[in-house]
Amino acid sequence: MPNDFRGAAPAVALALSLLMWACALSAAPATPSAGETLYRRGLLPSGEPLRAVREGNATVQGGDAACVSCHRRSGLGSTEGRISIPPIAGPYLFVPRAKSLQELGLPFVDTARLEHEPYTDATLARAIREGIGANGRPLNYLMPRYQIDAAAMAELIAYLKAMRFGPVPGVTASALHFATIITPDADPVKRRGMLAVMNQYFVDKNNAVARTKAPTLYSSHRTMFRVERRWQLHVWELTGPPATWEAQLRKHLAAEPVFAVISGLGGSHWGPVQRFCEEQSLPCLFPNVEAPTGRDSDFYSVYFSRGVLLEAQLIARELADVATPADRVVQVFRAGDVGEQAARDLQAARAHSGQQIVNRVLPAHATPKDLGAALREVGAADALVLWLRPGDLSALEKVPPPTSRVWISGEMGGLEQAPLPASWRAAARMAYPVDLPGRRVVRVDYALSWFRIRKIPLLAQQVQADTYLACGLVSETLNHMVDAFVREYLIERVEMALDHRALTGYYPRLTLAPGQRFASKGGYIVRFSDPQGPRVAALGDWITP
Amino acid sequence: MTACTQPTVSAALVCVGALLLTAAAAATVSRSTVTYETPDVSLVRADGKRVSLPQELDDGRPVLLNFIFTTCSSICPLASRTLEEFQRKLGREASKVHLMSISIDPEEDTPARLTAYARKFHAGPAWQYYTGTVAASLAAQRAFDVYRGEKMSHTAVTLMRAAPGKPWLRIEGFVTPDELVDDYQKLLASP
Repeated sequence: MPNDFRGAAPAVALALSLLMWACALSAAPATPSAGETLYRRGLLPSGEPLRAVREGNATVQGGDAACVSCHRRSGLGSTEGRISIPPIAGPYLFVPRAKSLQELGLPFVDTARLEHEPYTDATLARAIREGIGANGRPLNYLMPRYQIDAAAMAELIAYLKAMRFGPVPGVTASALHFATIITPDADPVKRRGMLAVMNQYFVDKNNAVARTKAPTLYSSHRTMFRVERRWQLHVWELTGPPATWEAQLRKHLAAEPVFAVISGLGGSHWGPVQRFCEEQSLPCLFPNVEAPTGRDSDFYSVYFSRGVLLEAQLIARELADVATPADRVVQVFRAGDVGEQAARDLQAARAHSGQQIVNRVLPAHATPKDLGAALREVGAADALVLWLRPGDLSALEKVPPPTSRVWISGEMGGLEQAPLPASWRAAARMAYPVDLPGRRVVRVDYALSWFRIRKIPLLAQQVQADTYLACGLVSETLNHMVDAFVREYLIERVEMALDHRALTGYYPRLTLAPGQRFASKGGYIVRFSDPQGPRVAALGDWITP
Repeated sequence: MTACTQPTVSAALVCVGALLLTAAAAATVSRSTVTYETPDVSLVRADGKRVSLPQELDDGRPVLLNFIFTTCSSICPLASRTLEEFQRKLGREASKVHLMSISIDPEEDTPARLTAYARKFHAGPAWQYYTGTVAASLAAQRAFDVYRGEKMSHTAVTLMRAAPGKPWLRIEGFVTPDELVDDYQKLLASP
């Protein structure tokens, strides 16, 4: 439709110019300003908690009163139930009355309301203190009336004004740049499997973009613009010791600016990557990490599961639930592997039980003989927890189980494919932090069919299925965001979108919320059903420790 | 669920579904009298005890029920603050009404998290929090018609019942603590 296209030319020009100014929050300062502390933590410059009152004299203070609770870190608002919480980043408050967001050069946010008079410092202060909007009408019941003095108010307003939208790294008029991060201690087979999926996903994505005669504009009475962009993947392979990774990542980011990190693969260490993403305000979405060290208080890294650290909690709960507690809990793991972190967490979880915890640490290059030695002096009254890989589990064939109370790590051992010898199967229970094979089969088959059709070799099924899921989640979330390329908003929209997701791969449910960074919360304890083969049976319900 | 009467609109109207820093829309709290069939599910109380939902509801006291999740940052803190004030305003009478808050995010809201949340809102001994399996929470949400597809779509609903076997007063929207006390007293006074 050439005529239509010519008619849209001014809009195209405007869109392209806006794209050059693809939106992002300006980089966060190294030390939070007083306004930021007030906005995010509900603390006044004096260090006292922010106080506010709602209608009916219900008081609210501190973190509960912080603006971020409703208006979110991005300042772009949110939706909860039937309540639409508008953006309060400066450009949305102070701009002159306008017809549309595109005229203002602002990201499209579906909760934005531009029919109000532009705020001034004075009317905004009145809104915050008295709950009276720019048009003189009362604000929503949810909006507290804040007790803020003039100096603190000036700091807060300055912070809101500083939420500007400028060019965002990794977003150009024609491409969206993403990175995936691989640490040098990552499993090379999983690495190949993950990259095969990501490369193909990006190829498919770009083929779809090519078919849309880019740049295509979609416009409605409310939508701003949606320009189909090519996806560009940058693989950041780290080298050397973990202490050097953050510096390497900073160099990668400077050389190849990206909007977000998708998936990724870690070995024993992921902490430096997590810290880098927090420091750079860079979303790091669903990396394949067996022992994520992140905290719920971190913002930018989001994981499918806590992996072996979740398993430690599952096993700790089992140990606490038995009628006759074991005399000792003997944990066996290799030095430097993720089992070391899991063992530490399990020990902490049992710290107040009075139960003795004995850690038998195998050297990194342990032989079956070392493994046998680690199991010596383990008695029938002890519990044995094995944080071991398939090679070590196979080697148990030469040793009879010293106790009937044995737990193994499903994450490390290979889930139902774990090569646990027949002689151990009656004694051993497995922590299983994903859905049961029979229940996940339909969800995982969707990914497996995609791999099969595209001739992607199946090298590490869970890593590949999780990678495919991560790419899909990012793609869907970006569709919902239209062209609002704000990194914090991406995280916030992922939080919102996950609950709706029906195809959740290995996990029965994925759910996030502000302050939640691990989308799947639980697991099973299973036992092998047969002396050989992968059949497992759950020993109870899904547990969320 | 059976609606016995048509919803009534409170004289004290408050706003639902409007904006924070823009114009306010019509502010409503709606009330209706409804009967519900309590599902026979077990929940886990914040003290770690597995309990029966029907038995918790039917302990003989008037009961006030709502649904929350601890990482909810806008609606739930306000609803919980309202219940806190409700307890405070009732004074000694507070121990005679059973307040029950059931998590709609039970996998995240472990008993430990619920206990911490209860402490934050100064929950007295008569105010108890519940978690459990996702299926049990969903069954409870559906039975009381508060399930909205996923937790981020939840709305502010408070349910109140004078005694086992009596109908429920369903309050939709943000009710103030004073209004809630008034509702409670009227409910007890009604035949």
